[in-house]
Amino acid sequence: MTLKKYNQTRIIVALFVSSLVSMGVTLKLPLLSGIAVVTGILFLSAVRSQTKIIIDEREKTVREKAAQLTYAVFTPTIGLGSFFLIMFGQQKTPYIFALGQVLAYLTLFMIAIYSVSVFFLNKRFGGESHEE
Amino acid sequence: MRNKVKQFRVRQDLTQEQLADALGVSRQTIIAIESNKYLPSLGLVFKIARQFDLPIEDIFIYDGDNSHDN
Repeated sequence: MTLKKYNQTRIIVALFVSSLVSMGVTLKLPLLSGIAVVTGILFLSAVRSQTKIIIDEREKTVREKAAQLTYAVFTPTIGLGSFFLIMFGQQKTPYIFALGQVLAYLTLFMIAIYSVSVFFLNKRFGGESHEE
Repeated sequence: MRNKVKQFRVRQDLTQEQLADALGVSRQTIIAIESNKYLPSLGLVFKIARQFDLPIEDIFIYDGDNSHDN
């Protein structure tokens, strides 16, 4: 199976699973939704293991840039969002304040992951200073 | 940075798909390299040079413009 066929299969499975999940929610059958999601994941992972997927260097570069952009946009956005939610939710609405706190911790968590990743990746790619 | 990949590919009578298969990359990557939108890695540059049996500097020309660098 080629990458193109795998992507087509993935879309079909996603549509089928989402229709089953929505049916499960409508008919109040949570088991149906759960089974649909688990079966979908298992099926796709089985198909993926059979597929020769070429992720070449250009695609890797695109993914790296996309991740970088996601971090650069998302972290300041939720950081500022949490600041405003904490500022305005402090007096009147306690749940908005709580939401602000959650977002603030999420921002800190993301910054922590970023810092740890930079530390280890820097080491991996020879960033240690060895003076000879 | 610009390159003559398309020129040498056509000279060897190869399609983008064939060159992509020979180099182990996708056709989109070949398209991006030929249109100077993607600067390949050093490893891929060597593979391309080996494929065309030419020195790297005959295929890739550094003109001091970094606008398309990755």
